[in-house]
Order: sequence, then structure tokens, then C-alpha cells
Amino acid sequence: MLTPSASQQQPRFGSRISDAWTEISVVMRKVYLDHSATTPIDSRVLEAMLPYLTEKFGNASSVHMFGQEARAAVDKARRQVASLVGARANEVVFTSGGTEANNLAIRGICEVAKAHGRHVITSAIEHPSVRGVVDEIEKEGWEITRLPVYDNGIVRIDDLRAAIRSDTILISVMTANNEIGTNQPIAEIGALVVEEREHGHRHLCFHTDAVQAAGRLPIDVQALGCDLLSLSAHKIYAPKGTGALFIRRGVRLAPQQVGGHQERERRAGTESVANIVAFGTAAELAKKEMDQRNDHTRRLRDRFETEVEDRIPDIVFNGDREQRLPHLSNISFRFIEGEGLLIHLDMQGVAVSTGSACSSGTLEPSPVIRALGRNEELARGAIRFSFGKDSTDEDVDYAVTALLRAVESLRELSPLSRKSLVAN
Amino acid sequence: MTLSYSDIFSDHLANPRNAGELADADVVAEETNPVCGDRLRLSLRIRDGRIDAARFLAYGCPPTLACGSAIAEMIQGTTIHEATKLTKNEIVAAVGGLPSRKQHAASLAIETLRAAIIKHASEDGE
Repeated sequence: MLTPSASQQQPRFGSRISDAWTEISVVMRKVYLDHSATTPIDSRVLEAMLPYLTEKFGNASSVHMFGQEARAAVDKARRQVASLVGARANEVVFTSGGTEANNLAIRGICEVAKAHGRHVITSAIEHPSVRGVVDEIEKEGWEITRLPVYDNGIVRIDDLRAAIRSDTILISVMTANNEIGTNQPIAEIGALVVEEREHGHRHLCFHTDAVQAAGRLPIDVQALGCDLLSLSAHKIYAPKGTGALFIRRGVRLAPQQVGGHQERERRAGTESVANIVAFGTAAELAKKEMDQRNDHTRRLRDRFETEVEDRIPDIVFNGDREQRLPHLSNISFRFIEGEGLLIHLDMQGVAVSTGSACSSGTLEPSPVIRALGRNEELARGAIRFSFGKDSTDEDVDYAVTALLRAVESLRELSPLSRKSLVAN
Repeated sequence: MTLSYSDIFSDHLANPRNAGELADADVVAEETNPVCGDRLRLSLRIRDGRIDAARFLAYGCPPTLACGSAIAEMIQGTTIHEATKLTKNEIVAAVGGLPSRKQHAASLAIETLRAAIIKHASEDGE
């Protein structure tokens, strides 16, 4: 017959899978395990921002009382965000998000420092918003050194030391990775940069993308010794569309957006007051509740990993399992492909993400997983699970059951798997 | 259900038709997309010029799995001659449509079917 029909039957697999299917189909939940992509807005954050979308609508640059009310709110938020990372308020520049902060940091420094050198050092596992700018300036003639990360997903300070040249003007290494969560040796890098400056390398700057780490790792820009640090609001339970760049006092950078005096001439454009208020409130809450949130997500993440390890064979954990963010787990499932697993989980109400994509017949395996030295199959089969402050034990139970079923189903179909069925 | 694909597509993923391999297959063909690495294996039991049974295995993105399921269902019970005339567009339609960037999955399904038919014809003629 040439006409297929939609089937509502249970999948045609072994009894263990059918049991898992029955378990899933009893109660369909929505389980969000993609908090590294974005987080829901905290109700306290929403409450704080709402007046600035209604009666307190002034432009923070206006002289009248409406404007001054907005200005005071932006100033307060600036202090709150600065406090999250140990900065002074006037060292914080609000942007439209983490991507703009990273662009402003790298392009801004390169433009003012190009007379002193055209060499930039970064890592092989930066977020696309850093990788993209660095790739662009490379096309413009800059020399780029991309530090390897080895199988644990962490750059080595000796590699960095060896890579620094007299014409190096910028080091940009992320605080923690967005796909595998590995923490980078930022404090050691900062100390090395200070040491370099003491030896006459005056124009060397250090930028770190802390979008994933902020609110999850205690950050103190004074202790870290970084000159620039990028932040994003929507990773810490505030709305999308706002970020910030810490710019150490005395560091000069060329603004990338001009035509206004806002943000002390460093970023032109009317401030998004409500979003900034939300960011400030979220930053204050993140600082206050950091330990509690981390304890919670670490416990859930570790329990999830234990369950997965016990119940699903042929998996590989990606990235160092000690030096990493507490809420994140990245696992490669052998014999299957990440996008298929993602869709199977989505069909069961579980939201996760994969760094690999297959488009127009071209595979784009995650550069982060490939940088760990994983082969293409493992890079394609990598899935990121990221827990949040409101995730529950029930979410873990449901996700493990859904994952078991999805992995088994896909492995039954896979010609790469030993588990492929012989049917008649 | 996921919002990015049709209900029929999602159903093929959740309830793949004719999954597995035939122990008594007359012909088995496996094709790989050399660029993205997606793989499809078809095993066919052929009786009197008719595909008596068809099974598939697939590795790759969801459209490759869905197209494998669809083609295995569509060709089972057809004559070899009818199966030869199956087109990529019919596979795309059978899974409820595919975005242009995912149409290579239907091409892989057709290529694997044709490889199986050619292999069977050559083995049959030996």
C-alpha cells in the first residue's frame, strides 16, 4: 500500500520500552530543562518592573520629574548589577544583552588598541557572540590564537602564557561555558594579565563572558582582575533584551553605538528602563539566593546524572564533572543523534537543547563538543540538560523516564546500535 | 506534540512503522549522506516481484527517521515496478511536508530504496 496512515498505537518495541511509554502517557508534564538558554521571569522581578511599563514611563534622560523617576530607577539597578560582580556602579554599562556586551567589549577594545598590536587570544569554546566577532576581525586582518581545551573542556594557563605576544592586546576567555558548563581559570588568567602589565605590557586587556556564570558562581571583578565582563539579564530570571558590560575604570573602549549621551557616552540609545529595573532586581535576588539556588540545582543535577548513568548504557559525560556550573549536565548518547533525541523529549513535554544541527544536508556538530576531541557521532549525540531554581524532584523523575524511552526508541532504530531489532 | 513538525511527522517519530531488520531479507541496502552522516538501511523480502515485507533502520535527524518510517510503510505490499516510481515529493508529502533545509532526508530514502532495487536486480540476475 502506498498511503501511510497515522498510527495511535504504542511503539513497536520491547516490553521495557512499552512500560516506560505507559508511565509517560499516564500524565503528560511540561518539564523545562533548558535554563542555560533562558529562564522564566521571577514573579518578584516582574512586580518590580511593571510600574515602569505603566505609570512610571519616563525617559531616563529627561530633566522633568518623570525622567528623574526613571533615572533613579536605572541608577539603583546599576548599583544592584554592579554589586553582583563586585564592581562600582559607574563601571556598568547597560546593553541590549550579552551578545551586544561581547561585541562592544571586543570591537571596542580592538578599535582603540590597534596601534599597539593586532593579536587577540580567545578559547576554542567561546559562545557564538564572541566567536563571531573574533572571526570577523580575523577577516579584517587581525591574528587570532584560539586556546585548546583538552578533553575536560578547560583551557590551560600554560597554553595562554605561551600564546601571549608583545602585540597581544586582548584576551577573551569565558568564565563558564554555555554548553558543558566548565569553569575556566579566570582568576589565574587575571593574575597573569596583571603580571604581564607589571612587565611593561601596558595595553593588554582581559575580557570574560560571564553570561552563564553570573548568579551561579560568586564573581568579584577586583579579585578576578578582569577589565571587561559581560552579563545577561534573561539567564537570571529577568526578561530578554537587557545585558551589561563591566568596564573597569580607566579602560578606554570605542563605543559601537553612537548618537546619544547615554551610559556615559559608551552606549547610545534610550535606556530600556523597565528591563533594567528587572535586571537590577534579578541581580540582587541572584546574589542573595545564590547558595540556596546552587545547592538546589546541584542536588537535582547530580541525582539526574546518577539515575541516567544507572539506567542508560553507552553514554559519555562531556566536560569536567567537578569544575563546572552546578545546574548543567551535558551527555552524549551513543548511536543516536541529538536533534532526534531533542524532538522525542519535546514530544513528551521535556525541553532540552543540543549544540549540533543538521541543515540542508550539512552537519554542523557542536564546536564545543568537537573541541573536547569527541568524534562526530558523540558530538552529534550531545544533549544539554540545565536545571533551574524552580525545577523539582518530580521534574527529574519525569525527565529520566522520558529520556529512557526516547533513547531506547532511537537506539532500536539505529543501524549503529547493537540493539537494533531483528523483526519478521 | 512538538510545534515544528506536522502531526503525521510526529506520529512517525513516536510510532515508527516497520522498524527493524528482516531475518530473511532478500536484499539489504544502506545509504549514507556523505555530508551530514545520516544513514538509512532498508531490508526487503521480495516474493514474485512484490515487496512482501520492508523494514528500516535510521540514524540521523528526525526527518531521516520519519522518512525511513514512511518509505518502509509505503513500499510494503507494492510491486518492485511501483516502488521504482516512488518520488522524493511523495515521501515529503507522506510525512506531512518538510522544510526545504530538511528535504535531503526524503532524497536519502529514495536513494536507499533505489539502491536496494538495483542490488536485488543484479543479485537476481547472477
